[in-house]
Amino acid sequence: MTKRLWWFGLIAGMSLVGPGSTLAQTGVGRIVGRVVDAAQGVPIGGAVVELVGPPTAFRTTTGVDGRFAFQGVPAGEVGLRVRMIGYGPKLVTGVRVPSDGSVTQDVSLNAESIQLEELNVTAEAERGSVADALNEQQNSVGVVNAVTAEEIARSPDGDAAAAVQRVSGVSVQDGKFVFVRGLGERYTTTSLNGARIPSPEPERKVVPLDLFPSGLLQSITTAKTFTPDLPGDFSGAQVNIRTREFPANRQITISTSTGFNSRATSKDILRAPNAGLEWLALGASDRSLPGLVRAAGRFEPAPSQAEVNAMVGSFRNAWSAPSRSGLPNSSLSVSVGGSDRIAGQGFGYLFSGTYSYGQEIQASQRRAYALPLAAPGSVAEIDRFEGSTGRASVLLGGLVNLSTNIGSGTRISVNTSYNRTADNDARREVGESENLGGRFQIDRLRYVERTVLSAQVQGEHRLGTRHLIDWSASRSAVGRHEPDRSEIVYSLDVDPQGNPRPPAWFSASNEGAVRTFADLDETATETAANYSVMLGRPGRPHQIRVGGLYRRADRDADNRSYSIAATLPDAARELAPEAIFDGRFSGPGQSYFRVTPLSAGGTYTAQDRQVAGYLMVQYFLSSRLELLGGARVERSEVDVTTEPTVGAPVSTRPRYTDVLPSLALNFRMTETQTLRLAATQTLSRPEYRELSPVQYREVIGGENILGNADLKRALIRNFDARWEWYPNPAEVISVGVFAKRFSDPIERVYLATSGTRIVSFLNAESGANYGVEVEARKNLRFLSARLVNFSGHFNGTVMRSRIRIGDGLSSRLNDERAMVGQAPYVINTGLTYTSGSGAFSATALYNVVGRRIVNAAEAPLPDVYEKPRHLVDLAVRFPVLAGLRGKFDVKNLFDAAFEIEQGTVTREYYRTGRVLSVGLSWQP
Amino acid sequence: MAISKGSRWLLLAGTALAMVACGDEEPGGNDTPNPPSGVTVNATSAVAARVTFSPVSGATGYLVERAEGATGGTFAQVGTPTAPPFDDTGLSPQTTYRYRVTTVSGGKQSSASAEATVTTPDRALTVINADITTSTTWTADKKYRLTGFIHVANGATLTIEPGTIIEGDFNTVGSSLFVLRGARLVANGTAAKPIVFTSSQPVGQRKAGDWGGLILVGNGIINRTAPVILEGTGTNTTTNPAIDYAGGTNNADASGSLQYVRVEFAGYATAPDAELNSFTFAAVGSGTTLDYLQALNGLDDSFEWFGGAVDAKHLVSYNAGDDHFDISEGYVGRIQFAIAYQQIQVVPRPAAGNVSQDPQGIENDGCSGANCTAGQNSQPYNVPLIANFTLVGPPAGVNTQGSGLVGAMLRRGTGGFYVNGHIARWGRAALSLRDQPTLDRITGGQLLVNNLLLTENAVTFQPQTGATIQGTVDATANAIDANAATTASVFTTFPTAPTGPASFDWTPSAASAARTGGLATFTGALATKAGTVVTGTAYRGAADPNGPKWWQGWTNYAEN
Repeated sequence: MTKRLWWFGLIAGMSLVGPGSTLAQTGVGRIVGRVVDAAQGVPIGGAVVELVGPPTAFRTTTGVDGRFAFQGVPAGEVGLRVRMIGYGPKLVTGVRVPSDGSVTQDVSLNAESIQLEELNVTAEAERGSVADALNEQQNSVGVVNAVTAEEIARSPDGDAAAAVQRVSGVSVQDGKFVFVRGLGERYTTTSLNGARIPSPEPERKVVPLDLFPSGLLQSITTAKTFTPDLPGDFSGAQVNIRTREFPANRQITISTSTGFNSRATSKDILRAPNAGLEWLALGASDRSLPGLVRAAGRFEPAPSQAEVNAMVGSFRNAWSAPSRSGLPNSSLSVSVGGSDRIAGQGFGYLFSGTYSYGQEIQASQRRAYALPLAAPGSVAEIDRFEGSTGRASVLLGGLVNLSTNIGSGTRISVNTSYNRTADNDARREVGESENLGGRFQIDRLRYVERTVLSAQVQGEHRLGTRHLIDWSASRSAVGRHEPDRSEIVYSLDVDPQGNPRPPAWFSASNEGAVRTFADLDETATETAANYSVMLGRPGRPHQIRVGGLYRRADRDADNRSYSIAATLPDAARELAPEAIFDGRFSGPGQSYFRVTPLSAGGTYTAQDRQVAGYLMVQYFLSSRLELLGGARVERSEVDVTTEPTVGAPVSTRPRYTDVLPSLALNFRMTETQTLRLAATQTLSRPEYRELSPVQYREVIGGENILGNADLKRALIRNFDARWEWYPNPAEVISVGVFAKRFSDPIERVYLATSGTRIVSFLNAESGANYGVEVEARKNLRFLSARLVNFSGHFNGTVMRSRIRIGDGLSSRLNDERAMVGQAPYVINTGLTYTSGSGAFSATALYNVVGRRIVNAAEAPLPDVYEKPRHLVDLAVRFPVLAGLRGKFDVKNLFDAAFEIEQGTVTREYYRTGRVLSVGLSWQP
Repeated sequence: MAISKGSRWLLLAGTALAMVACGDEEPGGNDTPNPPSGVTVNATSAVAARVTFSPVSGATGYLVERAEGATGGTFAQVGTPTAPPFDDTGLSPQTTYRYRVTTVSGGKQSSASAEATVTTPDRALTVINADITTSTTWTADKKYRLTGFIHVANGATLTIEPGTIIEGDFNTVGSSLFVLRGARLVANGTAAKPIVFTSSQPVGQRKAGDWGGLILVGNGIINRTAPVILEGTGTNTTTNPAIDYAGGTNNADASGSLQYVRVEFAGYATAPDAELNSFTFAAVGSGTTLDYLQALNGLDDSFEWFGGAVDAKHLVSYNAGDDHFDISEGYVGRIQFAIAYQQIQVVPRPAAGNVSQDPQGIENDGCSGANCTAGQNSQPYNVPLIANFTLVGPPAGVNTQGSGLVGAMLRRGTGGFYVNGHIARWGRAALSLRDQPTLDRITGGQLLVNNLLLTENAVTFQPQTGATIQGTVDATANAIDANAATTASVFTTFPTAPTGPASFDWTPSAASAARTGGLATFTGALATKAGTVVTGTAYRGAADPNGPKWWQGWTNYAEN
């Protein structure tokens, strides 16, 4: 009931600020737009824009962001003339001004060295050249790939992780983590509107991109080469997520969709018990660590039996999940944006909110381990468990973006966004343990909440035509809360004669019943300022750019785990877990239970302070040949303090100072072809927890991890060459090669021990990574005129890597192997049909990642590979009524299985089902 | 008997008067020397005292006698100095002694002097918080406290005198003693003065896992390729660096000698699932002596061997958190006379770790884990000889759970000779012959199970239920005797709730089935394996019906 009210409230609220508030006079409309440099895509401030046609009194100057607007223009066709010193003038004709409405017309200007005479183009043609000019891939100084909001809108991709995997050379692991060019997640960094986002992952330095709903995105760019104005701690790519910008016209969009999963919706799936306002991703506080248990600390002195009984009773009595019919998925998003004058000051604004709820499944789930046999490389399966996982997921987010121009040379903008996810999982699996020599049933309930909050103020000041100062101050906070994970094990034992006994709680084991509470919070403050001066002419705009950055990040990770064991008679152990823990065995005077804190070590704090400065020169050797050189100095001071189970905290305080040079050559062979060459040096610093020489069991993977205080940061030399051809607007064909050499790359390795294996980290001796990337995006009319409405895109990367581990304690079969995560190929392709008016479109997408190592094995086992998964998605967009558009998506059309293998053993297997969804979007 | 301070003085005074009277009655002739006067005694350490007295002119020597206690006791001669002072050693800490001195002159002795009394202090505490890299001796007059991970390294020899107490510091993570490859530990106690490694907690508050354990690392051979890190090490690169025990080449290597040594309340888990054992012998060679060792209330295994070839005799394990005897990775040594007894589920120190999910009497693995290059068939095979063992599992109702509780779990390709043993009271099975490579060892002649007495076990062989292969051998042909006798009836004294070490008498009772049925003469591969170290017996189990009660006097049985 409350849920429904909330929906109504939201929609009603939106409609108040909805349509009808346009302050237009009858018979007049608005023209808004932007003037940009045709070669660089940068906005041109101070350009003169005038209307050509019957009304001639309209004349204005563009702001620092290149934007302009005319109000009260009589409806009908007009022309726009744009002039700017250093640029060739342009006349755009056939701009249709609607009555009571507005039209957007962006204009690009060519440098005067290229074009002197006034160019006369139609409004339609100009849209293409502006698209070109704004093509970040085409205009960047480095090697960049981008996915834009339009492309995302034509795909069924619901979050940034799904969207970014359409980029060439990108693969996504676990639906969250980005691997670029076969390099592990540690070599990719993520920014939001240019400011680094801290990682909410306790053991990895990575931002899970599934946190960002695609409805809030303007673009995702992946910069694959380093330029000195970027932080230098990446090698694969720097992923920048840009949130949506305000539209030129006031716009309200409301979208809603509902979806059906072939394996979850209306099927029996495990549904974890709810707690709190879980449908709003606010379920953590109702699952927090009982105060009684927290107060007991390390259990020294040991609590009395009465206290232990109270502790047992204080845990939420939820251990297993009922199987119930799955609900359909649903989503709603609302966005309001525009550009208006308030108190005489022009403001651009965008408010956007999105919410989605889904029930997912990992069906036919199977996991096992491999046991080496005598013959080299041959393995047998052990520890095979089968079951399924049901999951309820909530993803919600919102943003408020505001910007305004002050005078003609200053622009201030504020971007804030907040995203929140909650995943409530229930898993049941049954299988045999080789070590314990018996069969077991394991129930796990897990609830994970993650948040990202980012607030940013940015300013841009143009001083005259040659000087630009921009600055930004950002504060971001991420959190990952995994409160009250519960695991309970039932023994499916047999009597001495081999006859089955009733399932009974495995009560004596330290793994028989475990509750885990993990919290991670990190906040980061980043301030950056850049100054650039243009020394050349618009055609050869030599530029010197200097800047600096200060960043401080503080992390607080807390991880506590408790084992509940008991000595209970068989008949009691055969009860359901919720009965065993309902208090009947923890009453006064009873002494069945024992609570033990399991080893800590996952509790730590970290602080990272970073200062960076750079100088970079962009010099045009000729109008076609651009040289970009410079260097960045980065100093990083990291303090990690880990709390061992017993004893004093252990601190590691590495300090790094590095100079990172970069040199790039861009050769504009023709107007539409560019050749790029780049040689850069970047680095990769250890993740916080990797530095801490205290052993602990990781929260997520459950492996025993031992950090290494002696880890050095890795240095990477990157070489890139790429040829790009832009035959027509929105078309591209490019071929690139890349090669990287690593010194001291950080590798995750296994240590063989006399007991449980340990995962640790070391600096491998060396590594290399190289490959070829091909990208094509083309209208298919070149094949046949009848295919004019079809366009196809393809990107593929073929790559190889080698890593040489060298001396150390690592257990390994071969000293040399491919890097973990490197697939031999990544292919993305798609075909889109767009009707002449553009109102109807249909897209088919295909994505496949070659067989890749997910874990380097310990000797003598073969490496662990993820098998290629052929993912086919369909998306249809169609008009319904005026202002109302419909969509129909199919995700994972063939229900491709996820499969990890090690030799002949299937280590992991599941299917997620295909998802059909329909939606409506209303834009009055 | 409480004697007040005042009455003690009276008593002493009375004694002195009596002696004076005595002298009066029997005045010394010219040739009878006088006893020394001014006899005093002072403790010089917890275990030594100095006796001083005024010299007597014409004396050729003196007889010093000692009696234990403030009163009573019997005086016995402890020294014959020619002049004062006299240093007495071998005392017990916190004990009162009385001394008296007799003068010897020519062939004549004086009467005894007045008595002097001394009470030795407690042992002085010596904190050991740094590695031992030069040869060192620890003496019985001190109490040594291991604070942190202490390594005997750099080829040094640590010698420990009989009767020395070594405590693992409860307040420092995993405090433990590692004797690294090339270094030696010479800890030869005696039945009267065993060397004791225990918790620093007071008696009554001790728990399994209070401290780490005793670890010997040798240069013997294991069947996993290097590097293999010892469980529990490497948790901290500075204080607890990783110890690689693989790659050794010399199965005759010597790591020293351990005799009459107890390890109590050990087994701290330095990391999840990485509890230290009470005794760990990693790649220890046959040049090492192991005899009369006891593990008590450890959190993990009592005795664990990883490869190597060291022989061991007279082992006692009372209450283990995991297995009593755990042998893997290519151990080829011989063990004779071993007792394992489980009465309770040990109570771990909070946060030290948990008891095992699969406790067994013997748990032997061929090869498992990383770097077993041929999997469970990696060579050298794990082929121990264990003879004359007594393995008594927990009583019914203790440790009931879904796994473990097998008397001898032989799996993952292990071989071995298991003869003349007694397996009792194991809740799942007496024997588990698990995994195909293990069964291949039987056909290959490297695994032999025979002349065993079984009492009160759930079944003889663990049946196959899931995918894990379980095998059997012919019980009759191998003289495996699943006897109907109760376990208690096999022994002379088998308490239902033991109160101390004296409550056990493992000697077979008069009508005990253990008195006979042993394989008295070894032949073939077994004889070759046994060499001169192990001989056949007509009896089964760890106790010779007619032999000494070797487990008595130096062992402990305490639950906390």
